[in-house]
Amino acid sequence: MVGYISNIYVGVYTVLVGMVITFKQMFKPRVTHQYPYQYEFERKDNYREIPIGNRGQLHNRVEDCIVCNKCAQICPVDCIYIDSRKPSGGRGAKLWESMNVVHLKDRKQIIGIVEGDTKKIEPDTEITINQTVPTGQTRKVSSNDVDRIVERKKVTFYMDRFDIDMALCMYCGLCTEVCPTECLTMVDTLQGIEYSEFDRANLNYSFVKPELYK
Amino acid sequence: MATEESKFIEVQPFSDEMVLSMGPQHPSTHGVLKLELRLDGEIVREAIPHIGYLHRCFEKHAENLSYPQIIPFTDRMDYISAMNQNWGFCLAVEKMMAADEKFSGVPERAEYLRVLVGELNRIASHLLSFGTYGMDIGAFTPFLYAFRDREEILLLFEEICGARLTYNYIRIGGVSRDMPPNWLDHVKNFIDYFEPKVDEYNTLLTENKIFIARTVKVAVLDEDMAINYGITGPNLRGAGKKWDLRKDEPYSIYDRFDFDVPIGHDIPRIGAVLGDCWNRYKVRMDEMKESVRIIRQILNQKIPEGPIMAQYKAVRPPAGEIFDRSEAPRGELGFYIVSDGSVKPVRLKAKSPCFTALSALQELSKGLMVADIIAIIGSIDIVMGEIDR
Repeated sequence: MVGYISNIYVGVYTVLVGMVITFKQMFKPRVTHQYPYQYEFERKDNYREIPIGNRGQLHNRVEDCIVCNKCAQICPVDCIYIDSRKPSGGRGAKLWESMNVVHLKDRKQIIGIVEGDTKKIEPDTEITINQTVPTGQTRKVSSNDVDRIVERKKVTFYMDRFDIDMALCMYCGLCTEVCPTECLTMVDTLQGIEYSEFDRANLNYSFVKPELYK
Repeated sequence: MATEESKFIEVQPFSDEMVLSMGPQHPSTHGVLKLELRLDGEIVREAIPHIGYLHRCFEKHAENLSYPQIIPFTDRMDYISAMNQNWGFCLAVEKMMAADEKFSGVPERAEYLRVLVGELNRIASHLLSFGTYGMDIGAFTPFLYAFRDREEILLLFEEICGARLTYNYIRIGGVSRDMPPNWLDHVKNFIDYFEPKVDEYNTLLTENKIFIARTVKVAVLDEDMAINYGITGPNLRGAGKKWDLRKDEPYSIYDRFDFDVPIGHDIPRIGAVLGDCWNRYKVRMDEMKESVRIIRQILNQKIPEGPIMAQYKAVRPPAGEIFDRSEAPRGELGFYIVSDGSVKPVRLKAKSPCFTALSALQELSKGLMVADIIAIIGSIDIVMGEIDR
């Protein structure tokens, strides 16, 4: 009989000891977020932004892509589809005259021919770009806004198709590591995470820009 | 206590028996495990596990992939501790590559990063084990507490490798990325925050009377039986055998750190005996503290500067075969690789610690109640992704 009552006592007591920990938590700040209704999370000590280099959706800057096919070869699930074709002048022929891709710091690109030396860019100077896409226009940007200038003298292949099936992708990041021009990247912002679709076919992204090869 | 003795009651042989299918969609089978229970009333006469619901042909698939391409698939084996799975595979391939003259060996900095992420992942894995075990038994609160702290580790991993669950971080010859600035400060903050939490969990669940009543003296797995079944990891240590590959066959740089190997004990105060569910659970709680100790030593020793990747031309291990094992959170993870000198393995076989642990279920569960099956599955801490592969 004594054992029976002491069992009840110990049972209730240890539950109450656990309840003290639960009770303390009531006066601490909440750790949960009401995602997706609450985007502006409360700034707390333990909260950090989506880190740089987060592996999200794949994106290809086709202006830099040389269609080397390395990403399609390393992909463990074969979710990158590339069709390429030799230009009429044979392999190695120039598709266009020397051209530059100017990457601005706000992640936009200007494609054209940069006047002057592209290797040395002084700060606080103006860069004149004769645009090729779309043709004929001249643009002037401050060198402070320019992230980098990529030079492209020749393209060995036409790119007919560059599709990535994000429904198949396993986010291993191997393709971004083998990319020689670092044009294939994983988007490390909120857009790289939130791209759900109702139809699976919409997850097949095509990156080819036919206007580049006119 | 009357209830504890009644667990081993001998019942009449001519009573009605029924067959109950538990799973595959059962919340406390840790994945998709189907148990065929032959019941006599509520007493389990036989429990036959049916596996294969999560089979993805990892081993056959690996024969058609190059070695670097296999690493993301090892993430999907034991997805709770993907870092240790990457590590186990890379250790085996590196051991084969050691005969290659062009392979320069794993750099020091990469070894430190590996131990750091490996031990963090061990904590994350044990936290999940602790939380889900509590929830299986009927305590919901520990689950939320464990996931709150596991989330911090996942954030640390997200910073260093870009992914939260399938890391693909440890590569053949090193690691994929160097740690970002201030990452070690974040690790230190987490360790300082986490160390007192283990005691809080012990107060919350380990010492709880109801939890003790459900786990103590249930399914005693003694040392001989554990060794006969090939059970390793916390399940073996809970049976009283002091066997940890990090200590007994140190790989990587584990011989530089000072840590204990926690084992189970007879505890008369609560009635726990060596090798019961409670001891298996307690070993995991103690191991989290030991992992914290290792991480603290890394933070105190200076991580050497230098490269994070070995120099080599291509991953072409010389022809031959190898079996290499490492201590994953759930036990000894082994990889058997046959190479013919090409970029793809001829045969790859993974030795899963969960599979051997599950094989003992049939013997452990005889004569117990249906509710004890839940307690056993939680205490042997299986992950179906690794069993089925």
